Parts: sequence; C-alpha cells; structure tokens
Amino acid sequence: MKTKYIKFLFASAALLGFAGCDDDNEGGSLVDETLNTEVLDNFSATIAQSVYNDLASKTSTLYDQVLAMETDGATDVELNACRTTWKQARESWEQSEAFLFGPVSTDNIDPRIDTWPVNFTDLDAQLDGTAEFTEAYIDNLEDALKGFHPIEYLIFGQDGQKAAAELLPRDIEYLKGLSQNLKVLTSDLKVSWQPASSGSYHLAFTEAGNGSSVYPTQLSAFEELVNAMMGICDEVANGKIDEVFIAQDASLEESPFSQNSMIDFTNNIKGVQNVYLGKYTSDGKGLEDLVRQYNLQLDNEIKLKISNAIAALGNVTDPFGEAIFSQPIQVQNVVDAINELKDTLEEQLLPFVQQHSK
Amino acid sequence: MKEKVIIRVSILLGALVSIYSCIEPEPLEESDYNEWLSGGSQTVFDNGAGAFSSIFPNLAETREEVHEVGDLAFEQTFITAPSPINPGLGPIFNNVSCTSCHINDGRGKPPADGEQISSLLIRLSIPGTDLHGGPNPVPGFGGQLQQRGIFGSSPEALMKIEYVEQQHQFADGETYTLRYPTYTLESPYTTLPGDLMMSPRIAPPVFGLGLLEAIDEVDILALADVDDTNGDGISGKPNYAWNVAKGNKTLGRFGWKAANPSLLQQSAGAYNEDIGITSFIFPSESSHGQSQYDGLADEYEVSDSILHAVEFYIRTLAVPARRNADHEDVLAGKKIFVDAKCAVCHVPRLRTKTDVSFPEISNQVIFPYTDMLVHDMGPDLADNRPDFDANGQEWRTSPLWGIGLTRVVNGHQNFLHDGRARTLTEAIMWHGGEAAQSKEFVITLSKADRDALIKFLESL
Repeated sequence: MKTKYIKFLFASAALLGFAGCDDDNEGGSLVDETLNTEVLDNFSATIAQSVYNDLASKTSTLYDQVLAMETDGATDVELNACRTTWKQARESWEQSEAFLFGPVSTDNIDPRIDTWPVNFTDLDAQLDGTAEFTEAYIDNLEDALKGFHPIEYLIFGQDGQKAAAELLPRDIEYLKGLSQNLKVLTSDLKVSWQPASSGSYHLAFTEAGNGSSVYPTQLSAFEELVNAMMGICDEVANGKIDEVFIAQDASLEESPFSQNSMIDFTNNIKGVQNVYLGKYTSDGKGLEDLVRQYNLQLDNEIKLKISNAIAALGNVTDPFGEAIFSQPIQVQNVVDAINELKDTLEEQLLPFVQQHSK
Repeated sequence: MKEKVIIRVSILLGALVSIYSCIEPEPLEESDYNEWLSGGSQTVFDNGAGAFSSIFPNLAETREEVHEVGDLAFEQTFITAPSPINPGLGPIFNNVSCTSCHINDGRGKPPADGEQISSLLIRLSIPGTDLHGGPNPVPGFGGQLQQRGIFGSSPEALMKIEYVEQQHQFADGETYTLRYPTYTLESPYTTLPGDLMMSPRIAPPVFGLGLLEAIDEVDILALADVDDTNGDGISGKPNYAWNVAKGNKTLGRFGWKAANPSLLQQSAGAYNEDIGITSFIFPSESSHGQSQYDGLADEYEVSDSILHAVEFYIRTLAVPARRNADHEDVLAGKKIFVDAKCAVCHVPRLRTKTDVSFPEISNQVIFPYTDMLVHDMGPDLADNRPDFDANGQEWRTSPLWGIGLTRVVNGHQNFLHDGRARTLTEAIMWHGGEAAQSKEFVITLSKADRDALIKFLESL
C-alpha cells in the first residue's frame, strides 16, 4: 500500500513534468511513422480480416453440415464432421479474442456467440416446446440460449460421446437455427472489418491519426492493440482458468462438453502471438518489427514469455475439468506463465509503443 | 513520521526526474490539481476500448481483489433456476447481466430499426406517489417494464419506438436534424391503465461513480438555487429520494433523475428490476404479485458479499484522463462552453469530501462536469413522469467526463436519457428549459466556434 502510494506520487510528479514538455522534444528518430502505418495496416489485413474470414467460413460450413443432417437424418460420420468444424471455428474465434475491440464488442457480437453458462433449464424447455426455430426466433433468444456453447452441448452431449442416433429431430431443428444464427453474426463481424464495407473498422483502425473517427492518433491504435493483448491474458489466466481452479469447481468450466478448454486457452495465447508477430497465414509487419528496431532484448523477452505460456499450457495433459484436481502444479504454472506474459506486455510493451508512436 | 519523509523525498525525486525529462524545464505550478486528471489521483491513461474499465490506480492489493470479484460478478450471465451456476434469472427481466447493458462499462444505445430494446429500459408509473413519495407503481407492471421472460413467462409488453425527423437551422444557415421519438407499448400481457406514464432510460457509463458518491452533500447543495434567486434563469434542485438501507429520504445522486441515493441501492435495484435477482436491499422479486411470479420464497439470489463487491467494483472504476486539453481549438471551445453558460450546470470542478475510511476517494479534486442537481430541460426532452422531487421536465445534469471516448468504447455517439441524440451537436441542440439560453447561444455561433466547442467536449 505505502509503496504503491509512493510510486504513484513519483509517477504523477514525473507526469506533470512530462506534460510540460514540448512535442518536438520527442526526437523524430524514435517514431517510425512509415513502419507504424505498415504495422496497423497489416494487423487489419493479415490478422483481423483473415481470422474473421476463417471464422465466418467455418461457421458457414458448420451450418451446411447441420443442414445435411436435417435432410437425411444424422449419421455418426456427419455428427463427427460437425464436431471437427465446431472445433475449427472455435480455433479462429479464440484467436480473435486477442483483439476484442471494435465491432465484436460495440455491436455486442461477443456475448451473442460466446456466452457461458448455457441456460439448460430453458434450453430443455425450448426443445420440449413447439416453437419453430427460425434464425429470427433464435436471434431473439437471450444470449445463454445461443452461440457456440448450446451448439457444443447438442453435438457433443453431456459427456462428449453423443451418438447421432441420440439426436432427436427437434435437436437438429434447434441446431439448424443456432448454426444459422452463428453464421449470420460471424459474417456480420467479417464484413465489419472489410475495407469496402460502409463504416469499415479497417478504415477506423488503419487511418488512426489520419482522419479516423475512432482513433485520433496512431498511438491510441497501438495502445488499443496492446491493451487487448493484455486483456485476453488477464481473462484467460485470472478468469477462465483461475476462477475454476480456485473454486475447485469443474461446473464453472467453459467448453466442457467438447473438452476443448485447454485448446481454447492455447488459442487465446496464440492469438496474442499472431498480433505480436503480425503473422497468421502469411507474415507481415507486426509489433515484433517495431520492437526489434529499437529493443532486441524486449523482443526476445516477449517471445520467451509467449513460448513459456504456450509450453505451460501444453504440459496440462488432462482435460481442464480434471486437471484442476489431477495436475494442480501444471495448472498453477499456466496461470503464472500467462500472468508473466501479461506483466511484460503491460510494463514493457505498452510503454514501448507509447514511446515509439504518436 | 518516517513515511512523510519518504513521500517528500519521492516527490522531490519525481520533480527532479521531470525536470530532466524536458530540455526546457518549466517550473511546476503551485496548484493542487491538474485539469488533465479528470478523476484526480484516480485518473487513468487508457483512451481505447477499455477506457471506462480501469481499476483505481492506487488500490491496495487486497482491495484490488474485491474489485476483481465484483468485476466477474458484473460480467456474470444469469440463467433460469434451477442451475448449479448463476441461477435466478427473471422470471421477467430486461437483460441477463450487468455488462450486457453497460457494455465495456459504458453507455447503452436505443435499438436499431426492427430490434427490441436491450440497453434501454422503461420506467412506468401512474399518477400519485408510493408510500415513500416515489413514483406510483402500475398494477400488474410495477415500476419498470420487463420486456423479456424466461421460458414460459410472458414479457410484460414489448416496446416500439418510432422517430420523426425534423430539420433545424443554425444562424449561419447550416442545418441539423433532430429525431423525435414516440414510445408505444405493444402486446401487453394484461391491460395497461389509460393514465400510464413512461420514462425511457439508457444505461449510463458506470466509471467514476465512487468519486461522485464522495462529493460532500454540502458542496452539492451550495450549487442549488431552487427559486433562482440569482436570476440567471438556472435553478438547480436537489432530488431527495428514498434510501432503503437508511429508511429515510436522502440526497439522490444517481440515475437520469438523481432518484437514487447510493451505489449500493443503484446496484441492488438494477439486479432486481433489470435481471430479476433479489438481494438484502430488494428481497422481493420484481414480478411479485403478477402472474409471472413463481411463488417461491427463495433465498437472496445475489449474496450480500457479492452485492457489496459489485458496489465496490463500480465505486473503484477510474476516470480516463483528458486528451488534447491544451490544444488551441480545445481551449477556445472551453471558453465558449463557459460563455454559453454550459458550465453553470455542467460544473467542471468539484472536490470529494475527506473520508479517512476510504483514502482512495478522499479529498480529490475532480472534473466531472456536473452539479448533481436536476434542472428543467424543457418540454421536448420531458418524460412527464415525476420521480421523487424531480418533476416531469427535470433531469439530472449528466457528467461529461469521458464523453469524448464514447465512440471508441461503445461505437456510437448516442446521448441523452433515451439516446435520441446521434452526435454531440444534436445533444446540445436538444437542450431546452433552463438550458434554452445556452442552446440559443450555440445557434448564433460561427461554424468554427461550433467545431471548437465539439472539440472541447471530445477532449473530456
């Protein structure tokens, strides 16, 4: 407490001094505007647009696969194909959680596709009822009745072992409405970042400091990127994992039916890695290039922290709901490694981009 | 004693560092506040999507934990009971979690065409007052519309909003358009009374509220001028509202009409009316006495400690610092803001009271741009529904801090109590009643001056 207060006074005194500085004191050589612009452009083109494209494409495939089950009855092969596609869509979505800003947040798409827990009481009642599960009907339901997790529950079953024969016609009807709604929402998300769309977030982001209505400076866009990376680290380590781990309560686990939680967490961190490297299916200018230009040691440290976190995640070999009991040391290591990454981003990368963009 | 020395030394060190960080050092000013720091020492420097979501920068670690518990609860999605986790939703409700209205701890917006309301709620009453002098609840509907129900429970009614656009003109000939809303309840589950009164309310941002709660009541009352004795046409009025925990009427501070006296009651009220979650403050279901009521005498659906943690979370959300406060256009806009008498109600600077039990919010100079009082805003903005001492034309002066970050946090610029304004300019031009003179002043401004005024608001 005392130390913190003292640190704060120190910081505010320094801040007052900083506010008194003229802009031209920040030497031009510290800000490479050309590279900064490239990094922002590449984030939108190579990461955001590509990841959202993949997400939309996978959910579209999932919808088609559900339609096929509706047409001629579900087979185990078809149901398995749905599960695989669900996991692929999930991979894109979890990687995109490293940049939860813009339309995914302001258009309220995140809670509509990824709310946990599922409202099982009402879900069962819906299935027992007589409503027609049109896409519009599903869209109007509350968040805990739609999106990834009700789909997961229906295609994996409570224990992840559901057989196609257990899928009732009404289940498939509901699945159809759910997957169509997921397809529509993820398609909206994809479109929202495309350069040609009206009100495109690509323009809002890449024209930061150059006419953007959202980001008055490139600095604010860089802060947005780093804050989002920190945000997902915090969410994974201290929310998704630690909340369940501390409570020792597997019923709090997200994605329990598919036993996909550890993969989800890993994809969150891979999402952070994508943003840092500016690399997804292709490699372009990323924060990495900016950091390397001025501070190789920091670049090494960030990469080390990312790989430590991913390695720690890999050391948890049991499904997450079991690992909180069977592998407590490994789970604690994950929490610690991700928090270390978060701290490095917060204490070093954030000040770095504040120094090297304006 | 030793502490003091350490602190003094660290200030000196800080000052020293700051001097060396400039090539041409300027002397530190002899002031105890800094206009860039809207939230005093509880100011943060995030101007992105998370700008309203930062914790106080100087909370002790144990208190940070409480904030985080509250944060998780704020995000928690409630579902239908029975359930091992998060049970208790409804049976009738507006939304499923705190954050689904206060997205990113920020501001809601009215529904798009064809959508049902989500982050906008409708207060209801009939003429008369309740036992405590508050709005008189509507038989069968209570004090608030719940437009959703869990499976098998009828929503009370659905809301239809229609807008009529009308064009207006500045003195220089440039036009602007305002959209005038009408609100109609559709498909009510039972008969609505003919003398129904409705008040639409957008979910407001929730940061900085701990500081507003900590302003000394005396300082707020000093700004009041109920009978306009100074003859400036502006008569701020305190709204005294029922304080459930205290069992008497106390100064209202929160909500669009300042009809809520504390963050605890505000949080408990939102749990109860908006989500259908009972607590020790409001132990009775919002559906009590209606056909949707499940008749189960449950325990409190949110525990005392979680409710307190959510209150603490909201109380300790920091205020984003200003941007570009020294830009010449911003400074010009600030002068216009003062000349137009905006600052008479949107009071820039206030001080929180000394509170030794809560040092983080004690004795802070803050820049919230509100007087915490209600004012007559004219017939166009009126909801014509009294709420304790606030009449049907009176609204509380909204704090303006952070307003320039609404777009990056929430992706829109919908302002005022029902989000009818689509830009800051529209929000200004809706002002009437006591604020009519300010609006008239703005009408006569040149384009450049209008732009400067907006630029100033964007810097808050």
